[in-house]
Amino acid sequence: MFKFVKQYAESIDGVNIYPMISLLIFFLFFVVLLYYVKKMDKNKVKEISRIPLDDNEQLSGTLIQNNLKQV
Amino acid sequence: MAALEKFQYDNKIVRNFAFATIIWGVVGMLVGLWVALLMVFPQWNVTTGNGTVGFTFGRLRPLHTNAVIFAFVGNGIFMGYYYSIQRLLKARMASDMLSKIHFWGWQLIIVAAAITLPLGMTTGKEYAELEWPIDIAITIIWVVFGWNMFATILKRRERHLYVAIWFYIATFVTVAVLHLVNSFEFPVSFFHSYSWYAGVQDALVQWWYGHNAVAFFLTTPYLGLMYYYMPKAANRPVFSYKLSIIHFWSLIFLYIWAGPHHLLYTSLPNWAQSLGIVFSFMLIFPSWGGMINGLLTLRGAWDKVREDVILKFMVVAVTAYGMATFEGPMLSLKTVNAISHFTDWTIAHVHVGGLGWNGMLTFGILYWLIPRIFKTELFSKRLANFHFWIATLGIIFYAVPMYWAGFQQASMWKQFTDSGQLKYQFIETVTYMKPFYAIRSFGGFLFVTGAIVMLYNLFMTVAKGKLVANEDAEAPALEKSVSHHTGEHWHRKVERKPILFLIATLIVILIGGIIELVPTFLIKSNVPTISSVKPYTPLELQGRDIYRREGCFTCHSQMVRPFRSETERYGEYSKAGEFVYDHPFQWGSKRTGPDLAREGTLNLKKTDSWHFNHMDDPQAISPGTIMPAYSFMLDRELDTASTPAKIKAMRTMGVPYAEGYEYIANKDLVNQAAKIQGNLLNDSIRVKPNAEVLAIIAYLQRLGTDTEKNKIAENKN
Repeated sequence: MFKFVKQYAESIDGVNIYPMISLLIFFLFFVVLLYYVKKMDKNKVKEISRIPLDDNEQLSGTLIQNNLKQV
Repeated sequence: MAALEKFQYDNKIVRNFAFATIIWGVVGMLVGLWVALLMVFPQWNVTTGNGTVGFTFGRLRPLHTNAVIFAFVGNGIFMGYYYSIQRLLKARMASDMLSKIHFWGWQLIIVAAAITLPLGMTTGKEYAELEWPIDIAITIIWVVFGWNMFATILKRRERHLYVAIWFYIATFVTVAVLHLVNSFEFPVSFFHSYSWYAGVQDALVQWWYGHNAVAFFLTTPYLGLMYYYMPKAANRPVFSYKLSIIHFWSLIFLYIWAGPHHLLYTSLPNWAQSLGIVFSFMLIFPSWGGMINGLLTLRGAWDKVREDVILKFMVVAVTAYGMATFEGPMLSLKTVNAISHFTDWTIAHVHVGGLGWNGMLTFGILYWLIPRIFKTELFSKRLANFHFWIATLGIIFYAVPMYWAGFQQASMWKQFTDSGQLKYQFIETVTYMKPFYAIRSFGGFLFVTGAIVMLYNLFMTVAKGKLVANEDAEAPALEKSVSHHTGEHWHRKVERKPILFLIATLIVILIGGIIELVPTFLIKSNVPTISSVKPYTPLELQGRDIYRREGCFTCHSQMVRPFRSETERYGEYSKAGEFVYDHPFQWGSKRTGPDLAREGTLNLKKTDSWHFNHMDDPQAISPGTIMPAYSFMLDRELDTASTPAKIKAMRTMGVPYAEGYEYIANKDLVNQAAKIQGNLLNDSIRVKPNAEVLAIIAYLQRLGTDTEKNKIAENKN
């Protein structure tokens, strides 16, 4: 069925290795990523994750919260 | 600790983008409703000025997709981005002027799209239809956006870049790369150009772009918004920040590879298809990691979801994201794709993402943001609740009939009778779809009604409030020199160095792009072109440009897949070598009408007068069809003055027209037109010698005939 496609895809040297290389690159990338994330300092992570909540909302923050409770 | 610095956040730019997303959202959705209705009432396809301005499906569908993607979602991104990035960095945007240029430039681009698309000015590449001058404008405005972002990051008062900002950076970098690579085109006039790539290569680049437009325009920036606004609305930090790091890096790494899943079973080399499948399947993991992270942010706050309409919108949005990103990998499997591709299933899939994920998240953010920057309460909570329910119902009424229709379509295309004949004529599958198209339009109507209610609600909110154009804030300045303790975590180092972060992101997305694209370009020198495949004649080339102008590719594919049901219906499956002169490729992605790849071959061939009458009044020739009439082509004169420039452009891009052929091309064009004119006259049809219809007939009659010549020769031997 794919005779035609194969015919010139095969003319690239070692085309079969592409999918394998790709998978390998991702696998290594992912393992390294997991390792480092695992090693992160817990307290620091907690601190960073609060950045969005840590702003001075002197606007109508409370007003809106009350407002929403009634929705 | 450094002394507190006083500064102000710019809320005006947030308001501007918010208004833009509301207005363009309603416009884009109305155009969507309109094109949906055109599939039920084909007589509503109209053109004016002898075909100059067209409100036909083929021209309006790109307008709808561009309006909702780049105008509604685009402005929605920038609204959420300008509000959140200033607060996450504890800094005002580096330059108000750049913010302004970004805003007005983006709106001008949208207006240019809204004008040029109904005029039929299109590159013929989905989601990248805008012509080259607009492409250049997009590039400039994108640089302005990125420049301002990085300048702000550099003057920030918060050392760490919160996860939302990584998503913004990835969006900026990747969209820039995608846009530049895909928009490589050769201008022939101010509003006409040809894609530099042809055939298979054009298809691969286009869907590498197309899929990543979904990834890096409709997904990553919205994930950034999710990571900021979900915690804000729920008033608690994101469930797992570590998970968000894994989510980010694996998502951007994997997404860039997934494009070829749009081209399964086509003439794209098999290895590229396989790569696309593998990576598309793996995408489910980071996507669901992100979804779970979003939903679990509401842990302990689920009681609030019942009362808080903003959280309701966000929960539906994130759930829709989960559904769409589960379905996506499934659709990338070849067995599923064999059924779903070219059908309305795909349309259902994208609308779960578009209406559910992008739409609902934008609405949630708008209801959260507008009262805040206008320092007031929302005008009506009841209306907001009404909006939520009608929008949710709208999505259901849209998606369910389209899933059903898609599945039915595929099964009707593929069924054989006991005697081995195709069971259904193509037209039967079209008429069967009509009730589903009608219900879908109703779903769209509900959704757009909700958006209009929101427009009213937010307008009234704005009317009773007053914009806090410059919002006071204070934060300590960053200390210039920080002593880093040894063994510090690498990712925190990267987070602190935005430029390094940018480069890391760029490398991660380039790996996939390069491995996929480069071999396909190398192939070019290795492709044994099919000797019988010849460049188009000048008349056919002009006809092909009309085909592209009218957006025929929005309903007709030109790609016969290697299935018995397709080869029986259309003939020999398509080969890569057949498309080497196709700038741009016109394979299409939807088969509302039949495939046209072999329209000119013996078993599909119609007479010239059949095509003539069909263009004039499709319903008369093919009862029940929903094809628009193109009667203006019978009268409209072909622009032959453009022929030399077009031939020359094609030759520059490698199409083997002889040197100097451009000077005599119009002579060939006139001769070929006269021949078709003669054929029509034999059937008592009189037509001007330079009518556009002659060119489109020439093109349609040419389709698929090149390889047929081969076969005929083989048989003779």
